[in-house]
Amino acid sequence: MAGTESRDRPPAAVDYRSLVSDDRVHGSLYHDPAVFDDEMEAIFTRGWAFVGHESEVPNPGDWVSRRLGREPVLLTRHRSGAVHVVANRCSHRGTALCWAAKGTANRFQCNYHAWTFDLDGTLVAVPYPAGFDRSKDELGLDRPGQVESYRGFVFANLDGSAGPLATHLGEGGTGLIDRLCDLSPTGRIDVSRGWIGHKVSSNWKMWPESDNDGYHLNWVHASMVDATPDTYYNETVLGGETGNQSRAVDWGDGHVELDFRPSYQRALAWLGTTADRVPGYCQALEQARGPERAHRLLWDGPPHALVFPNLFLGEMNLAIIEPVSPTEMVHWHTAVQLEGVDDAFNARLRRQSEAAMGPAAFIVPDDAVTAERIQGALAGARPGWAASGRGWLDVSRGARREQAGPRGERAALVSDETTNRGFWRQYRRVMASRLAPPTGGPTYGGAA
Amino acid sequence: MTGRADAPVETTRIPVSADEQREIETFLFLEARLADESRYDEWEALVTDDMHYWVPAGPAEGDPTATLSYINDNRARLATRIRQLQTGSRHAQTPASVMRRLLANIEVLAVGDDGATYVTTANFVLYELAAQSTQELRVWPGRVRHTLRRVDGQLRMAAKVVELVTATRPQPNLAFIL
Repeated sequence: MAGTESRDRPPAAVDYRSLVSDDRVHGSLYHDPAVFDDEMEAIFTRGWAFVGHESEVPNPGDWVSRRLGREPVLLTRHRSGAVHVVANRCSHRGTALCWAAKGTANRFQCNYHAWTFDLDGTLVAVPYPAGFDRSKDELGLDRPGQVESYRGFVFANLDGSAGPLATHLGEGGTGLIDRLCDLSPTGRIDVSRGWIGHKVSSNWKMWPESDNDGYHLNWVHASMVDATPDTYYNETVLGGETGNQSRAVDWGDGHVELDFRPSYQRALAWLGTTADRVPGYCQALEQARGPERAHRLLWDGPPHALVFPNLFLGEMNLAIIEPVSPTEMVHWHTAVQLEGVDDAFNARLRRQSEAAMGPAAFIVPDDAVTAERIQGALAGARPGWAASGRGWLDVSRGARREQAGPRGERAALVSDETTNRGFWRQYRRVMASRLAPPTGGPTYGGAA
Repeated sequence: MTGRADAPVETTRIPVSADEQREIETFLFLEARLADESRYDEWEALVTDDMHYWVPAGPAEGDPTATLSYINDNRARLATRIRQLQTGSRHAQTPASVMRRLLANIEVLAVGDDGATYVTTANFVLYELAAQSTQELRVWPGRVRHTLRRVDGQLRMAAKVVELVTATRPQPNLAFIL
């Protein structure tokens, strides 16, 4: 129809229901540019995604630069103390306002025509204002339709139509974040010690999968096991089907976990230490939570889980999965620091983070090279092959031994692909339902 | 306020004898070649017992323990790194990357009072074929600073600090010895 061209492709352009089934996934989803376009819209524009943590912008004026799908955004701390997410793009002619990873500013001033914005995106000044008919109120920076935080974790939904964050996270997602934050005596974590970017020539979806795959460790990470034979991974994931009690858990809505708790044989195994070696931390946690709860927390440790779609709670690391293109992504990570604990303890967490994650670490480079090998091998898989049975990836392992848990979760052995299926089930749901044109409601844009 | 970003040691080239200069360069070229060829045992034999191997995610300034680095190895962790590379199952380096690096602009920045310690700087460009994954050519430009110490008459490496030109940006796999 002339004059009513939609910005959306017809919903049926890629048939996600035919390319993702309960126990297999088609390889074309990892490299098709049309699929990537759809994901940036359905998952990163019309859904909730993780932006950053409030501890990254502790003081008024602090900002960090991020991407939500393809959209460059700034996470800022306003003078009022409130945290905001605004587009990193002047509302006048589109210049990026900030080009470093982080900084501190009283205002954002565009270098093109000196339009000046407050940290909440409000346009506060333009040169020679008499020439403009629009009011400044209409010309603020684009802002996500919804920004909410949970225990300092800031999430945004660009187009504003995704419903409350609490619904997106569900009991499963909030429970995972709680289990991490509760390890801090103050209940607060700090992630301001710098992010390490790891560039991988793979589709972004391999990372929600591999970060939470309990089946691969004995092979992909064989060299880590050989070189450091006494890690807690022995008791949590390496022992095979009968050697550990860990569980692969699908908490629903794409939030999935390798739950190591049932495997630990003592407190603080997850930290590779014992209580007598970190007495200050143990005492602080007991004072804050009481002995019984503290004992439980010290035994259970942090979660190893994905909060859909882009936040990996990697035990005492946070990672952000950043899609770049159909065949490129960045795995960003930082060390979780516990507020109210001495720096020697937190320094230990920083060193462990360097050992585990990033391009030169002992673990994740072997995942990266595996992802790149998958990417190369899938490059030719066409969507049209699906019907003839070519180019499929199998994620069926353990499907028939999944059990429903008390909170509606599904769980199976840690080596089962329950986590992969949980991710793909949510993926199929949002890709098949969110690509229809919006039916009203708030949309991503400037101050209304 | 001096208005200078660099400490004097960074801007002053310390004169050393031609023999010392040659000995230092010979050491640096050997170290580079052993790293290029993934000859881990021979490379490890060049380091001291208190070796620090640091690849920061930005300028090599301040306390390396305060923030996260790509690599921040003490001697024990460096030994683990090499042990892992020698397992035969370090997929990120199986097969090992094919590498050649060029070292230039070698300067001696400081000489210890004992005359047995040198701080050197050099620029480098490392060409890497990612033979274990994408088969692409990866280029790693940067600056390397060594602390060299004479041990039993031989130069050894007590610190190697690598400042990548791209340090603040995400890096691909860096599982080899930079």
